[in-house]
Amino acid sequence: MSPVVTGLRKPAAMLLGKQTELSRILEVMKLAFNFLRVLADDQRIENLKGLSLFKRLTARELRELDELLHQRSYQKDEVIFDEGDTGLGLYIVVSGRVKIVSSHAALQRVVPECGPGDFFGELALFEESQRTARAVAGEPTQVLALFRTEFFSLLERDRGIGVKILFELSRTVVGRARKLLASQPHLPTV
Amino acid sequence: MRNEPEPGVLTWGVIILVTCLILYLFERVLWLVVPGLMALAGYYCLQPLVQALVRAGLKHRTAGKAVTGLLCLVTVLGVILLLSLAVTRAAGWKAVTAHYVQGGLDFLGKTEGLLAEKLPQMKRSALVLSTPTNLDAAAEQFVDKYLGRLLLQMVHWVPSLLLVPYLAYFILQDGNRLKKHMIRSVPNAFFEKTLLLFDRVDRSLQSYLVGLMKLTFLDTVCLGLGLWLLGISHPLLLGLIAAVLAWVPYLGSVAGCVLVTMVAATDYPNEPMTIYGCVLLFICARLLDDFVFLPMTVGRSLRVHPVLSVLMLFLGAAVAGPAGLLLVLPVLGVVAVITETLRQILTDQRLRARYHHARQLQRTMPEVG
Repeated sequence: MSPVVTGLRKPAAMLLGKQTELSRILEVMKLAFNFLRVLADDQRIENLKGLSLFKRLTARELRELDELLHQRSYQKDEVIFDEGDTGLGLYIVVSGRVKIVSSHAALQRVVPECGPGDFFGELALFEESQRTARAVAGEPTQVLALFRTEFFSLLERDRGIGVKILFELSRTVVGRARKLLASQPHLPTV
Repeated sequence: MRNEPEPGVLTWGVIILVTCLILYLFERVLWLVVPGLMALAGYYCLQPLVQALVRAGLKHRTAGKAVTGLLCLVTVLGVILLLSLAVTRAAGWKAVTAHYVQGGLDFLGKTEGLLAEKLPQMKRSALVLSTPTNLDAAAEQFVDKYLGRLLLQMVHWVPSLLLVPYLAYFILQDGNRLKKHMIRSVPNAFFEKTLLLFDRVDRSLQSYLVGLMKLTFLDTVCLGLGLWLLGISHPLLLGLIAAVLAWVPYLGSVAGCVLVTMVAATDYPNEPMTIYGCVLLFICARLLDDFVFLPMTVGRSLRVHPVLSVLMLFLGAAVAGPAGLLLVLPVLGVVAVITETLRQILTDQRLRARYHHARQLQRTMPEVG
């Protein structure tokens, strides 16, 4: 073996030894980090996971989203929002039932009622337009509200969460649009 | 998007009155207001770091604790450094200040002499009649009388500043929870408008405070660079002081310019071009601020008309002194947002009808049950 290779052996071994030490420290840090992550998975996050709109989100993403959701309770016949109000956000039914009443007959047929897991007022998440229907609690109801500007700030921070939620939203909106078209007496030709 | 009407005269009257009242109260508890505002600025600056840790998988509370721990450590180290510097160099600072004030006064005297020489009709004016010796004595008196007290005040503020990481910790940790609790206590009818109100206040404060920090950084760099090119001593420190003074709109820039002119007059007593160069630098920095940096950073976050801003500055100074000068614009901006949104809520017939209907439902519910 050449003297150069022999000479290099010692510093290489030292470097490798340090690398092993570093990887051990990283391993311990990773374990501690994972432990903290497991601690955070509480019941509330599990409940959110059960909602169709958030079914694709991971526990970490749900935790971040949970910071933005506002829980509200409504009595039977209490108005949640009215037709013509400026829409500011989307509502997700956690328990109870919400009746959707609209002056547009076609809209009324598409979504007459929302039950647990359903959401309504989704158009307000895309633009600050007037509500096209009135939402009234059909029985004592609990909802989660997602405010548009808070959702936008989440989109800026973490696009991954935004894409997953928007994908689920789009599916429902497309489904409702199809239903709306099918309910029209004269279908448009495409 | 629906266009909202501009606030009327009565609304503006209420806004100005409430702003003055708040400034008066703030001046009484300034020891709490200053660390509170600094904590708020710290919260807005540290929030992205906490969110990054949450994205990495940490629980929100744990991330808050980690970031505030770091802030606490930095603050304690900063305070220790500042205290040790103040103890060892206080006498030196006093001498240096007196030296630079003297330099500034000499420059003023020379300018007066030059003016009197070139414009003989000015010989009788009050400006020229104020002799440098009188000003000199006044300056010495100021240094002897106030500078020691000023330094003592700075040391007195240190415990108050220790509150900053403590408050920032609570805002980072529980700020969002507190906001959600406050919103939860609002009747359902006013829920969406309250969310809007919180969002507007949050945005106004965030864009103002974070923008101000960015503006200070940009001003420091530009002024520091300009002063360095002009050959003035301690360019970065002077740039930083002038940038911080610029927190008081309009008047702060003038104060910063006077300060740097004093330093330049002392460093280069026989080179008036350097001194005029400093004044020119400040005018350029002001223009750069108004047309480039301000729209990039603070923008129109507070949505207050410039004329009203100037008037409010004088009113703020009259009500709460120097603190009023500094606080009047952010307080005015936030009060304007709150008053305007409250006016919209209170005058909305639909919302009020919905609120009364919900109360009626609540009253009749036990009878039905």
